[in-house]
Amino acid sequence: MTAPMTAAPETAALVINTVSLAAAAPFFALLGAFVCGFFGRRLREPAAGVFATSMVGIGFLLSIIAFLSLLEMPEQSVHVPFWSFLQAGDFRLDLGFVLDPLSLTLMLIITGVGFLIHLYSVGYMHGDEGFSRYFAGLNLFVAAMLVLVMADSFFLMFLGWEGVGVCSYLLIGFWYRDRLNADAARKAFIVNRIGDVGFLLAMFLTFQTFGTLEIAAVNEAAGGLVAGSAVLTVLGLLYLIAACGKSAQLPLHVWLPDAMAGPTPVSALIHAATMVTAGVYLVARAAPLFAASPAASAVVAWVGALTALVAAFAALSQMDIKKILAYSTISQLGFMFVAVGVGAYWVGIFHVLTHAFFKALLFLASGSVIHALGGEQDVRKMGGLGKHMRVTGTTALIGTLAISGVPLLSGFFSKDAILLHAFTTELIAGYGNLVIYGILLFTAVLTAFYMFRWYYLVFAGAERLTPEAKSHLHESPQIMTTPLIVLAGLSAVAGYIGLPEFAFPNLIAPWLETATETGVSFHHPSLTVEWLLIGVSVLAALLGLGLGYARYRGGLREERTGALQRASQHALGFDALYRRLFVRGGEGLAQGFRAVDSEVVDKGLGGSALGVGVFARASSLLQSGFVRAYALLMLLGLAALVLIVALSGVFA
Amino acid sequence: MTLWTVLLPLVSALVLLAVPSRGLQRAVVLVSTFFTFLLALALPQAQPFETPWIEALGLYWSLDPAGAGGVLVLAAAIVVLPAALYASFAVTERTRGFLSLLLLMQAGLNGIFLAADLVLFYVFWEATLIPSLLLLGIWGREGRRQATLKYLTYAVAGSFIMLVAILALRPLSGAPSFRMEDLLPATQALPFFTQLWLFVAFALAFAVKLPLWPLHAWLPDFHEQNHASGVADAAGTLYKVGGWGFFAFALPLFPEAAVAASPYLLALAAFTAVYAAVIATAQTNLKRLLAYASLSHMGIVGVGVFGLYLAGLNGAVYLLAAQMLSTGGLFLITGMLYARRGSFELSEYGGLAKSAPALAAVTLFTIFASIGVPGLANFPGEFLSLMGAFQSSPLLGAFATLSVIAAGVYGVNLYQRLYQGEAQAGARDLGGLEALILAPLLTAILWFGLFPHPQLARIDVQAQEVMQGVSRVVAAPPSDPSSTELQATLAVGDAQGENE
Repeated sequence: MTAPMTAAPETAALVINTVSLAAAAPFFALLGAFVCGFFGRRLREPAAGVFATSMVGIGFLLSIIAFLSLLEMPEQSVHVPFWSFLQAGDFRLDLGFVLDPLSLTLMLIITGVGFLIHLYSVGYMHGDEGFSRYFAGLNLFVAAMLVLVMADSFFLMFLGWEGVGVCSYLLIGFWYRDRLNADAARKAFIVNRIGDVGFLLAMFLTFQTFGTLEIAAVNEAAGGLVAGSAVLTVLGLLYLIAACGKSAQLPLHVWLPDAMAGPTPVSALIHAATMVTAGVYLVARAAPLFAASPAASAVVAWVGALTALVAAFAALSQMDIKKILAYSTISQLGFMFVAVGVGAYWVGIFHVLTHAFFKALLFLASGSVIHALGGEQDVRKMGGLGKHMRVTGTTALIGTLAISGVPLLSGFFSKDAILLHAFTTELIAGYGNLVIYGILLFTAVLTAFYMFRWYYLVFAGAERLTPEAKSHLHESPQIMTTPLIVLAGLSAVAGYIGLPEFAFPNLIAPWLETATETGVSFHHPSLTVEWLLIGVSVLAALLGLGLGYARYRGGLREERTGALQRASQHALGFDALYRRLFVRGGEGLAQGFRAVDSEVVDKGLGGSALGVGVFARASSLLQSGFVRAYALLMLLGLAALVLIVALSGVFA
Repeated sequence: MTLWTVLLPLVSALVLLAVPSRGLQRAVVLVSTFFTFLLALALPQAQPFETPWIEALGLYWSLDPAGAGGVLVLAAAIVVLPAALYASFAVTERTRGFLSLLLLMQAGLNGIFLAADLVLFYVFWEATLIPSLLLLGIWGREGRRQATLKYLTYAVAGSFIMLVAILALRPLSGAPSFRMEDLLPATQALPFFTQLWLFVAFALAFAVKLPLWPLHAWLPDFHEQNHASGVADAAGTLYKVGGWGFFAFALPLFPEAAVAASPYLLALAAFTAVYAAVIATAQTNLKRLLAYASLSHMGIVGVGVFGLYLAGLNGAVYLLAAQMLSTGGLFLITGMLYARRGSFELSEYGGLAKSAPALAAVTLFTIFASIGVPGLANFPGEFLSLMGAFQSSPLLGAFATLSVIAAGVYGVNLYQRLYQGEAQAGARDLGGLEALILAPLLTAILWFGLFPHPQLARIDVQAQEVMQGVSRVVAAPPSDPSSTELQATLAVGDAQGENE
């Protein structure tokens, strides 16, 4: 599939068909952002939201049509060229979109889940003074995210990449009057920029190595280089830095928990379902590049495994209903990194898909709770809400079971596929893949445990509501519960497109593998072993849930805090460490440079070497008429210069 | 037509002095800047202008509309139009003189960018200094004397040395005139050490104006002390023409010396980019912060030039044009902020997004453009400059790229301190006139960010010529091949030569 794409920018004109029409999706979202941004104040409240929602809905329809058409096509890739962006010497860049199984799958998630979350937001943001500003930001985000996944070059992908970062910044700091929210937005932006530097350097090196930034061409050429060569490893690691920034992986994960300062639907869409999976997408998109470098792939997998563990550990004892989910997201993204790190690219995207459903569901359910309690986010002041909010409670339970890996729900199939491929990978077989498997298995136990805790403390057990929250309490309006029901349905059944390959028909693997074909292979253990592995992961889920039940059925038990629990609450103290190391360090550096600038460069070097001091003393004699004297001086000077030129010419 | 891009603002500046009424002055300024903008748009179709000036001395009035300078003329015209309009409202004392000097600056700048005769270039270079100095010296703030003095000292010290070099050029090389087409073959044939001394003399002048660390000390004071409307700062931003001097003159004239000196200059420029961006994160004064931000961009321009890589040279000139729009726009916005709160100290601000949401949005947009968010003006140039440098020296290129992080820090810090948090006091939102003034800048920022191809095509032609001179050096090794840095540069150049 790569060959026609590399030739495409030179020859292909834009062919309009049912697939390429989907390239219009981001422009509809952009239109929505434009209308809400510029005319927002003139639109009555629901109008902006309805318009924005329908723009994303149109995108979803276009994606569905493209998806259905692409299934029929023998060549499962359509290239949509736009304009020639620049040509500077030997560096040429054309902008275009590529519609293939990989990008379309992501588009369906972005527009589909995006549509539901927009819809939900119409209810959630009701009465907010920034109603249309909110939808402008959300639509702009959808546009940027679509550009990111459809880009045919790393350059255009970077445009979407920074674009989603900007939108994330805008929406985290949406309620900007609270300083903490603005701080959280700033932190997210800066940490993401560190990742972006990785992306930039990766592109510079890509161009140096391959002479192009077109993804298809790079992927094709990567196969031609010696597998495991140093340049491929460095490239892989640089792209990994970018991926770590956007997908909140160690050591750049610290921004995501703070990002919960944004409105909850934003957390659901940007910080759970779509943007944060961009790192996984990047690795999958550049699959041949990573597949050609086992070392870089191994680092991806290890980063993922350690992140999964650390974040799950942190999720164990958070008290904020959204922070628990935030750490859970980081942890689940770690699972996805393991998947793409071990070379199972379709599995990574499969988990992106199922996670988008159940994590969006869990966030929206949290939003429903927060909405119902008038802004309360502390799980210690919740409990027993399932009785009062039947739809929210039931759907949240489905989400909880799905993420915990309870058999026959979606999370079970995708998580099991990750565990299985970590166990059987040949790509990073020499890099401790079995240890990674073990870490993930243990993390799966933790996942079921903390998710049970989350559900139990919010929806079951005794009511610990404040009287004020109690007076607020109500089930959310239908516009909010409908997306919950749809997402719950998807969380339950989405896994069936990815049944274990050894015994059942698997729909998603062959579909995605046409776009991520790399030749990475896996062991094929005996059927008994495969069934055994599934049994082990089922046990892990049940063990976690059982432990959770054992601990929390007696009610909230968070009083005594041991060292381990404190470490969990502070997420191993990364924030404090970074504050000391980088924030203070950076401030110190800035003050140091500043001192050098004013004391040495300005006063010292500038003052003495250039004789400003002398000039200054002389000028004090000219106090009055100072400026006019200068004007005259300058004119005289210019005349003198011309004269000198003239004379020199005569003598030359 | 080419000549008129210089003459029109010049004549208008003089006409303005004879116009008594305020409304009429504004009309003259608007007509002049608008038609200059149209002329700038039409430059690619214009004919070169040339007429002997002082023939006995080999001086020509020679202007080349086809080169990369045309892009800079265009960007400058886009800034001067709204800046002049804003000044006609925001400068209340001696408005006529202010406007007249602004137009003079535009005339001079257009001359700098279009001149194809070295002495003509030098005359414009120096002549533009006068209005720039007067704007600071007469309309500046309390500390203007010291700032003017410093600015004058740096500028004159730098360009005096260049003047000596220019005067020595014809006797040394035996070129028939000062036109670039006559000079180039002659100066490129000069022996290495002659080239080196001449290059150093040019480089000093250009480094002051770029500016390059440690010759930048005039810049923060220059911006801090300029008139509170920010118009003079915007004009000063257009006048950061050191990068252009290197690109259009120093590099092509002395390629052998340029190849030898570029690793050191590259290191300096990379350091400038990071150093200034880091200092910008610690600034508490709005204008000083922007001054250091601008200095950091200039470091990246330098990085693009001294990487001596074709794409990087393209990027450097493009970034020079783009930052006129973004930095110029930010300075005009500081003027609007000052009109509301009467201070440039960031501590006087906060929470303005509540009362002035449109102004907040416009500011954020321009900040994002300035810190190189893709899709907006600065990014293509920044990307190409850094990438070009990376091809020559991965380490220095990567180091300069770190400035992107610091840019993120000062960018969002600035926005937070101005607009987020609890409001200390309200401020009126963007007015219709202000919106009208900023609209062309914002449009151009998007245009330059999304469609760089047409402008880059113009830059690329000249950049290729510059690189040809450099490649010839590579083909025939210079007289002093013993230095290892030199050989390293050559090795990189070799790889480049093969690509072309």
